[in-house]
Amino acid sequence: MAAPEVHHLFHAPIADHSFSADRATLAVARDTTVELYHRTPSGSGPGPTFRLQDELRGHDKTITGVDIAPRSGRIVTSSQDRNAYVWEPSASGEWKPTLVLLRINRAATCVRWSPSEAKFAVGSGARTIAVCYFEADNDWWVSKHIKKPLRSTVTSVAWHPNSVLLAAGSTDGHARVFSSFIKGTDERPEASAWGERLPFNTVCGEYLNPTAGWVHDVAFSPSGAALAFCAHDSSVTIVYPSGPEQPPQAVISVSTQLLPFTSILWSSETELVCAGYDCGVYRFAGSADGWQLSGTLEKDERGSASRPGLEQREESALNMFRSMDLKGRAGGGGSSGGVDDTKLKTVHQNSISTLRAYETDGEGRVARISTGGVDGRVVVWKL
Amino acid sequence: MSQSLRPYLSCVRSTLTAALSLSNFASQAAERHNVPEIEAASSPELLLNPLTVSRNQEERVFVEPSVNSVRVSIRIKQADEIEHILVHKFTRFLTQRAEAFFILRRKAVPGYDISFLITNFHTEEMLKHKLVDFIIQFMEEVDKEISEMKLFLNARARFVAESFLTPFD
Amino acid sequence: MAANINWRTINIDALDPESAYNFDLTTLTPAVQPVSSSEVQTLSGQVRQLLRGGNAEGALRGALENAPYGADEQGKAMHLSVVTEVLGQIRQAEMTPLLQRMYQAEGGSELCDTLMKYLYKGMGQGTPTSNSTPKNLTPQATGFSQVGGRHFGGGEGGGQAMSVFLSWHEKLVEMVGPGSIVRVMSDRRTV
Repeated sequence: MAAPEVHHLFHAPIADHSFSADRATLAVARDTTVELYHRTPSGSGPGPTFRLQDELRGHDKTITGVDIAPRSGRIVTSSQDRNAYVWEPSASGEWKPTLVLLRINRAATCVRWSPSEAKFAVGSGARTIAVCYFEADNDWWVSKHIKKPLRSTVTSVAWHPNSVLLAAGSTDGHARVFSSFIKGTDERPEASAWGERLPFNTVCGEYLNPTAGWVHDVAFSPSGAALAFCAHDSSVTIVYPSGPEQPPQAVISVSTQLLPFTSILWSSETELVCAGYDCGVYRFAGSADGWQLSGTLEKDERGSASRPGLEQREESALNMFRSMDLKGRAGGGGSSGGVDDTKLKTVHQNSISTLRAYETDGEGRVARISTGGVDGRVVVWKL
Repeated sequence: MSQSLRPYLSCVRSTLTAALSLSNFASQAAERHNVPEIEAASSPELLLNPLTVSRNQEERVFVEPSVNSVRVSIRIKQADEIEHILVHKFTRFLTQRAEAFFILRRKAVPGYDISFLITNFHTEEMLKHKLVDFIIQFMEEVDKEISEMKLFLNARARFVAESFLTPFD
Repeated sequence: MAANINWRTINIDALDPESAYNFDLTTLTPAVQPVSSSEVQTLSGQVRQLLRGGNAEGALRGALENAPYGADEQGKAMHLSVVTEVLGQIRQAEMTPLLQRMYQAEGGSELCDTLMKYLYKGMGQGTPTSNSTPKNLTPQATGFSQVGGRHFGGGEGGGQAMSVFLSWHEKLVEMVGPGSIVRVMSDRRTV
């Protein structure tokens, strides 16, 4: 497996990141600004590096979401200051923000463009999802609210490939599927297992996992036939609907031994990639018959790392037992114990906040993914 | 003694590691605010079940997790009244200088001697496993410190008594 | 009456049924059926019988499979004492193989999560500071208000039971990782 491409941008949490379609521009949410990085072929290190090119200023609270529309290149940002902006490049090359009329009175927590790029959804702490679309008559972005039956902060939104169905995860422990059909903007969608007639705010599915932990992220499978969500009980749940108004064909919940996942991504119809508080990236594989954890993208560095000298190891064995005795820390392998253990073994040094598809191959499978973490790193992994 | 200390501390360690899965979460009660939910307690669904790790009746750790903050309270071993006074003086000294310790709470949760409040901003700024290490180390050191102080106090008392009684010799 | 109310300290969120403050937590546990105390009692009888028959593993499994999530505080406390009894009967050397068998069996991870809940619950026992009659109050006022609430000497009390929980916890975490602890925290079905 090729080594992941690590870009350590700064020492601050990255709440969200997004690559442009040509992968040359990287937008990163850093505190109250969005920084735009441009890929430059580097001279010194291997692989390309990213250089700071522009900053999008306008929000005055922590930015929670940023998304670049792949075709139009528009950037949408959401922030805890209750606002969302759509940024468009002007003729002079500067980015011009347009305020979106969200009409929410709590923080905006996440934002995603629909695949059609005519709409985007903003989740919020006001127990609302604002589905925003452009009103050409007035030349502004307006929103329609999905309110019921949300009962707590919306943590994540994800679009179905048909741009009408919208999945949302919330801290009330539910993952829900809504219709966000807007007349005049959307074409009437084909009937699917999620529903046939879909007026705005139809609840097409509502799922709870056994422990009812907060749902951190939701995702539709590439075909839109299945929904996956990860919750704060370290589990991943996959739902296969059977038809409108009917109980789903299969709901599979995989509890893991790891810390909870915060982000989830389908790399193909039968494979999921998850990342979160464990700082590593994990893969799941399965189908409607069952799912399981199939591996990790972290490579085991213990063998390849330069082995400490014998003398040092003996001393560290003593330290290891001492630390086991005094601090209750199990000595995992020879490298822990008294030796410098500040650095984690994983590539990310703090929890991973978002996982994005970076590159898809010819058959629609995700070939490379990118992760952004609280440690200020953006890493590109090969699957 | 360290025989039962090890499982106790490893239990605290794993509990804290699990509890420190925090995210940046804006308040859903107050506009444009971002407060530690465990202190605000404005929405019950954002608080998780609190856990207790105890070594015996007198020594325990209380972990109260929430979506963006964790409150960790420690009850320090106090075998007799002198130790109780020493713990009181010692924790008072620390809490008065709470800002120097970043994660120290200014007031202990009732029933405990000292409390820490760890928010998502702390876990973002500092390494999570190092924060856990800090609390574990604090727990070891404080026991040691208290018993040392007690010995020292006794030694001093003996010395004072001796010097006081010398003239009557 | 109205004169006695301090208007500034009223939590107005509590009065609004729609506010986040009044989130109904029972909606998060739809599958939990209420269990009466007598049912818990019958169950504990069965578990104790298994335990007396020398089948500690079966007893533990039975107790965990039928954890009374829907029982009231009294019923839960009753079940906890049964689980504690079973745990105390199993020797240190048998813990790991027993847990391994339990974990690998069908639905084992769920059982381990339930066991983890009981371990924390067991350790949390007696947390509300037992402000019983202080044994040795000094006649002079020491100036430390808390002194009355503490009883010294008996400090090591319960140490034995706790060390049972702690060693189970250690063995269990080795097997099921921090994920299980996270589930204990996030699960609204408490034991």
